[in-house]
Amino acid sequence: MTKRQTRFFFLGSTLLFAVIFLGLTFDSHRQFVTLTHSDQLTAEVIAGKRVWHDKNCTNCHTLLGEGAYYAPDLTKIAEQRGAAYLHQFLKNPSTFYSEEKDRRLMPNLNLEDIQIRQLIAFLTWVSRIDTNGWPPRPLLVSGAFPGANPTKTEQAAVSSDPVALGEAIFRHSPPACSACHSTAQGVQLVGPSLAGIALRAEQTLHNPEYHGGATSAEAYVRESILEPSSFVVAGPTFSAGGRSFMPDNFARSLNADEVDELVAYLMSLK
Amino acid sequence: MRFRSQRVAYYYFVVALLLYGLQIAIGLLSAAKYLGPDPLLHILPFDRAKEIHTNLLIVWVLTGFMGAAYYVIPEESRTEIYSEKLAYAQLIAWTGMGLVTVTGYVFGWTAGNKLLEQPLPMKVIIVVVMLAFLFNIAMTIWRAGRWTTTEGVLVAGLALSAVLYLPALLDFDNYTVGIFYRWWTVHLWVEGVWELIQGGLLAFLLIRLSGVDREVMEKWLYVIVGLTFIAGILGTAHHYYWIGVPHYWVMFGGFFSALEPLSFFGMAVYAYSALRRSGLSHPNRLALHWTIGSAVYSAFGAGILGLAHTWPAVNKWTHGTLITAMHGHMAFFGAYVMIVLAMITFAMPGLTGKDDEKSSALGMWAFWLQVTGMLGMTMAFAAAGIVQTYLEHILSIGYLDTQHKLAVHFIMLMATGSVFALGVLFFLVDFFFIMVRAPRAARPLSTQGLASLTPGGAEAGE
Repeated sequence: MTKRQTRFFFLGSTLLFAVIFLGLTFDSHRQFVTLTHSDQLTAEVIAGKRVWHDKNCTNCHTLLGEGAYYAPDLTKIAEQRGAAYLHQFLKNPSTFYSEEKDRRLMPNLNLEDIQIRQLIAFLTWVSRIDTNGWPPRPLLVSGAFPGANPTKTEQAAVSSDPVALGEAIFRHSPPACSACHSTAQGVQLVGPSLAGIALRAEQTLHNPEYHGGATSAEAYVRESILEPSSFVVAGPTFSAGGRSFMPDNFARSLNADEVDELVAYLMSLK
Repeated sequence: MRFRSQRVAYYYFVVALLLYGLQIAIGLLSAAKYLGPDPLLHILPFDRAKEIHTNLLIVWVLTGFMGAAYYVIPEESRTEIYSEKLAYAQLIAWTGMGLVTVTGYVFGWTAGNKLLEQPLPMKVIIVVVMLAFLFNIAMTIWRAGRWTTTEGVLVAGLALSAVLYLPALLDFDNYTVGIFYRWWTVHLWVEGVWELIQGGLLAFLLIRLSGVDREVMEKWLYVIVGLTFIAGILGTAHHYYWIGVPHYWVMFGGFFSALEPLSFFGMAVYAYSALRRSGLSHPNRLALHWTIGSAVYSAFGAGILGLAHTWPAVNKWTHGTLITAMHGHMAFFGAYVMIVLAMITFAMPGLTGKDDEKSSALGMWAFWLQVTGMLGMTMAFAAAGIVQTYLEHILSIGYLDTQHKLAVHFIMLMATGSVFALGVLFFLVDFFFIMVRAPRAARPLSTQGLASLTPGGAEAGE
């Protein structure tokens, strides 16, 4: 090989691959509309993106797995936590986590209410991006669950037991129940532990402060999923002003079978 | 040093190394924050420390590149720099931009976009300074009417760096599209055009340190940079897998980024075969160490450690973990920090007018402590990253609970990071106090400083 030939190799291959790259970029732009739901890019979402950048969130957190590794990934956080919780959290992170226990703490960003709403709108939009299946399993902020977590489809291949199917739903995202509720005795994440929920549901029905419509433990569990604020369990990170932080969209996002399976699973926790 | 105007390189190196020292101090602070409890939580929270750490790296490495170019171009084109004044003015503007940007970060003035946090006015200054620099270089070469492949590759790398910075000036409403173009700057810099700069500087150093035939070296340089772009351009896709792009990027990214190590291995073989012939006989042993070190560490850090997590089936699990920090630290150090330090140690005897190119013992300690410390840090990040991937991403154990279990690795990170920092400190002491000292009392430098340099002082390396 002569120097002339190797120069030709350099220039030729660079040009060729640059052209291919530009072609793929062009095609990607045509597909971004569907992949990112860019029709849902409202002024509020765009303003929320501005807050995300201005507050330098990406230099502690990852979003779509990109950023810094000092704080949890937020790709699906809107789906996992819901707006009510996130609003309260962003108001003052130190009521939810402590530097003593977690060895690091999110500083209070002193956001205004409107900025918080914009940021949540942005994170909600991000949670819907088609990410080619990432993350493959839910990324949680806290809590520990030994063993792998099969998806409902994987579970259905080996069992049609509604309890097993319900557990798969419980552990998967969405709805990511396990991101906030542990099933271990005494382990409080940001929502109450669901250990023994079947027994406690029975007790709640006789609680004079209960004003919901359920008459059986099973109906109470179902009501708690579909209308979380109908009875609020006391706890510093569970609710504010009588409204539960739990997302109230499960009546829409889960189908009837899934709710049945989830209730069957929870009723098995005695 | 053959040409009087090459001395501007010295001042670029001074700025570069001061910023390097600051970068490492902030890096140690960030590592301490990982271990927790967070020091300076309310004065300098992690996000600000981290952006200062990475931005200082980018600024000082670019300062080093520009200084190196001002040293290399006159020698390759056999002429004085077109405008020495412009070179100094550019350095002042550049340093001012760097200091204002970093000070701004301390007070929360940021664009909050990973690695491109510079606020827009600062970005505009960066572009202007880069253009002034390229103008000065281009005029130097044009006036000389002579250019070599080595400097051609170097200048192409610098010019394309400026071009690829332009997408960073744009703002996109769609976050996915924003990330897509952010990588045009970040990826195509570090896994594309900066490799041209590294390759050009490596060729320059090898030709002088080993005395091998220039034609042969330059022929293979084209092959190496050709491989860089074949793999690197479509390899951009390994940053695209999970951000909301069409699925074909996963396939392209997997295949082409798996080829990325080729050009780094090429550089390692290139350095090895050149120096095997000359038998490491060059008196500037320190420059030899940094040069071979750069070729070896970039093959390992950028090549192998990049390959370790670039395949989509692996990256699906490791994406967003400290595995990225493992690869990033060693790749940047090996490919870009070490090549700049190689240029500095190579150029210094000439810049200070020493006949004697013998390296100081402290300089050798600086080398070994940095390579050892960086290897240890890479291992600490690797262990932390593997545990994090397994616990958090595979078993779905919570982020905060996982971080608790990583504490021992953060202690290792602090320990090896301190070894590394000591190496950097030794390098600075060597540079500022030992390298500038004249070997004999007859030389005027120790009293009058660099301004007294005359053209055609000591000739470096040939």
